[in-house]
Amino acid sequence: MPEINDNIESDAELLQRVGWSGSGPEERHQRKRNFWVAFAFMSPAILLVSSVLLVPVGYNIYLSFTKWKKFKGLDEFAGFGNYERLSTNPFFTDAFYNTSIWVGASVLFPLILGLGLAVLVRGMLFESLFKDIIFIPRILAPTAVGVLWFYVYAPDGVVNRFLGLIAGREVDIGWLYQDNTVTPAIIVTFVWQTVGLVMVLILLGLNAIPKDPIEAAHMDGASRLQVFWYITLPLLLPTLLVVTILSVLAGFTVFDLLWVMGASYPGQRTLSLAVFQYFEAFQKGSWAFGSAIAVVLGIVVLTVTWTQAILQARVDRMIR
Amino acid sequence: MSNIEYHLDLEAIARREKKAHRGNWLAMAGTILISAIWIVPFYYLATSIFKTTEEYSLNHPLSLPSSVTPVMENAVTAWSNAKMGTGMMNSALYGFTGAALAVFIAALAAFGLSRIDFRGKNYWFMLIFAGTIFPLQMYLIPLFFLYQKFGILNTQFGMILFYTAICIPFPVLVLRNYMNGMSRDMDEAARMDGASEFTVFHKIVLPNCWGPMTATFLLQFTWIWNDLLFSTVLANRTEVRSIMNALQVFQGSYSSVGPNVVLTAAVIASVPSILLYFILRKHFMEGMRVSGA
Amino acid sequence: MELSSITTAAFVAGTVTLGAGTTMAGDVELFHDKGFWSEALQQVGDVAGELTGNRIIESAYAAPEQYKAFIQSSAASGDMPDMFTWWTGGIFEELVSSGQIGSLDAVWDELISSGDFDASLRDFYTVDGVAYGVPLHLSRWVALYNKAQFADAGISEPETWGDLMDAAEKLKAAGHTPFHATAQDGWRGFIWFQEIMIRTNPEAYKGLHDGSVAYDSDAVRNAFQIWSDWYANGYFSDPRSNEEAADFARGKGAIYLIGDWAIGLVEAAGMKAGDDFSAFIMPNQDPSLQSSAILEGGPIVLSKAALDKPDVVNALKFFVSVDGANAWAGASGNALGNNNAEPPNSVVAKINADVAAKGTIALNRWWEAVPAELQGEFVAEFNRFMLDPTMETAEKVMTTIQSLNADYWASQ
Repeated sequence: MPEINDNIESDAELLQRVGWSGSGPEERHQRKRNFWVAFAFMSPAILLVSSVLLVPVGYNIYLSFTKWKKFKGLDEFAGFGNYERLSTNPFFTDAFYNTSIWVGASVLFPLILGLGLAVLVRGMLFESLFKDIIFIPRILAPTAVGVLWFYVYAPDGVVNRFLGLIAGREVDIGWLYQDNTVTPAIIVTFVWQTVGLVMVLILLGLNAIPKDPIEAAHMDGASRLQVFWYITLPLLLPTLLVVTILSVLAGFTVFDLLWVMGASYPGQRTLSLAVFQYFEAFQKGSWAFGSAIAVVLGIVVLTVTWTQAILQARVDRMIR
Repeated sequence: MSNIEYHLDLEAIARREKKAHRGNWLAMAGTILISAIWIVPFYYLATSIFKTTEEYSLNHPLSLPSSVTPVMENAVTAWSNAKMGTGMMNSALYGFTGAALAVFIAALAAFGLSRIDFRGKNYWFMLIFAGTIFPLQMYLIPLFFLYQKFGILNTQFGMILFYTAICIPFPVLVLRNYMNGMSRDMDEAARMDGASEFTVFHKIVLPNCWGPMTATFLLQFTWIWNDLLFSTVLANRTEVRSIMNALQVFQGSYSSVGPNVVLTAAVIASVPSILLYFILRKHFMEGMRVSGA
Repeated sequence: MELSSITTAAFVAGTVTLGAGTTMAGDVELFHDKGFWSEALQQVGDVAGELTGNRIIESAYAAPEQYKAFIQSSAASGDMPDMFTWWTGGIFEELVSSGQIGSLDAVWDELISSGDFDASLRDFYTVDGVAYGVPLHLSRWVALYNKAQFADAGISEPETWGDLMDAAEKLKAAGHTPFHATAQDGWRGFIWFQEIMIRTNPEAYKGLHDGSVAYDSDAVRNAFQIWSDWYANGYFSDPRSNEEAADFARGKGAIYLIGDWAIGLVEAAGMKAGDDFSAFIMPNQDPSLQSSAILEGGPIVLSKAALDKPDVVNALKFFVSVDGANAWAGASGNALGNNNAEPPNSVVAKINADVAAKGTIALNRWWEAVPAELQGEFVAEFNRFMLDPTMETAEKVMTTIQSLNADYWASQ
């Protein structure tokens, strides 16, 4: 009676296990045929992604080295002229600085708050309800959230009235109109919207941690804080890293919130590189210059993601 | 000796229990406070849409509305002034078509990448995934020019084309991983019976992937629904505008409507997302898990 | 195979939707970026269809910058729309220099000889001796004022600068805010700047636009000083409102400096033109200076190719005809300078009468006169001043603006 084999191992793998190298003419021919079959399956994806996404990226890089003559089309090669202009443009420097602040804050605050909330809420009565309440802003579009909070921050809006209640006198701060308050205000909105997701991801990560080491530590008399710091947190590291990567990407390219909420701020164009690029390209019509800004943004984002990917690989290896 | 240890252990446990109890009260209070703060903007939203413009300008932002009837008028004003009907239909079209096409195309590609053995798999995967590693700003200007050149600027076709392309890479990642984890027995059996690769894909692998396919479809649909930037650049004309584009234009417009109407517009624009979430919560959570994996 | 049928369906659907929005024969599309006038423009377009057989179909772009980009790149690809709106000033010259705009000299000859339009108006739309546009709308920038609040303060329309200062004080004493100005929508910062400049030093104002006068010169500093003093005296309303017209209707400010196209908005917010509010032309600081008012007149232009299309030319001619002007006035409350058309409301009629009586000359609006690529950055600085109206801020604003200005003119 034939044995029921639950093994996933395929014929090719069996052969490999017993020593057939799999690189003889038979196998190569099979692989070549396979390649074209596989290519057929991948072709719609490859076609769309290359033509609509990858070619434009190349075109963008090319554009950044040209000079645009309005109404007459793209002009000749301009070398690094656009990039030189960038380095002396005061708005660019401000936008770069603000972007760094924004990315730092949009990674740090949701992470810390999300971690705290996850730990707080876990195992509590009504945990589901609290999770929902904190998560719901996430399902709204950033545009809608921006419109809502635009009015929340109005001079006679909710925030000022609330502060007035606490301070006992009328509070009239123009949150979205002033230099030193606009970025913190929008960061608060951003955190309000995104903490829910971070919290849920961390909760999933926490639930995936095996209970044995924790219980053993408790038995040995370790305090809750010690257990958290020395055991839970390190095991949570992969999850935290994933959260960080997502947050960094989101932080660099956030646009909707800044566009809607920053509309009354005179320095709106310096709120982030993404907004600055839009203003330069589509408000002033400086296409080539705008392309250069996009390239700079691309380099920065890619560098950061690359670094994180390496970090993640290292952490994965450590855990193993 | 062991007696003493046992005795000490009991006390320690009792102390910890009592601290845990007190801790729990504090934690609960803290959580309730935080939840209350989280809800305040929604409360503000809910009360504002029931006010008339006059009522809104005269009263405290968090005051209760005097009646529920103004919401109809607000909704009608918002709907017609912001042309929300067109916006919603466009976004629905873009979302359903774009996300569905993208997920299907991604499943095809994922099948090729995971079930067929060939050289250089990873490089092809990286090529497809490369579509998603660049910041969106790098697509804006080139697409604006290329679309203009090919005459698809301000068309629904152009928008669907873009949304489909950008929504392909992520599902490819997810579905490839998922398919890698699927047993190949039935595949092999079907192949040995002479089935073509496409039949294997269509009849065996695809039906088992509905879970991750639905989850990624929902994620991509939501992304498309929420998009503001690409609609503003590539499809700004009123007839082809997305819903979020319509909302943003409405908020920044010259018309003399008050915040109550604009907020009503924001609510209307968000209703589909909220409905989708509540009906398909399970799949959303699945989607989160799958994206975190 | 199912795959191919799906893709076929997709491509068919794509080509069908590609053709969405096609028009019927005889219809002419008018492209513009003034979404708030969409309905009014379509009303005029429908009347055009009834009376001439050429229905005008309005086609709105949401944001001016998007719209500019669309026109610029369509010029680059040689495929301009037949009929579209634009702005006067430097940006008009740029459009003309693309070589793809059609000359409207023939149209203007007809308009002037029929007495519908003044010859002086033609100059507004002339570049290098050739006229390239006709008015979409012609608005003067005047001071709307709240009649009830004026009566309350016991004042009448100011004829001199002294009257204006007196009026401000009396309004304050009566518990009203004299001047209404906000930084809404990010573009309004230049309004009071341009007004104070033309009232104190119109020559310097003109010099700003060709780079001969610097933005940190004494003339400009003087204007900022006056502006800042007025804020310090509490003459201005809160700039942080998002409902400028509605606020004026609610009495948040007595004197509202704005283009007369806003009369329709104020009426929509609840005030009646003539009864609740009227308008006057702001007086000059030096009474020996000629009375002047800022004129804003966006043009409609035709592409060169459109000159050969009789439908398009007819549609254009209809828009500026008496019938068209009346339809436009009725639909939107805007005038377009046709002498034989009805004034859209009593306030505009009154201003027309004032202008005729005083011989008020027209000055180009700052927004059109400033080089297009500097517009956004400069007006952001003016907004910055409005939100923190001290001389300290003014100095920073002037320095920032002038450095950008100097760079621009140096590279011309």
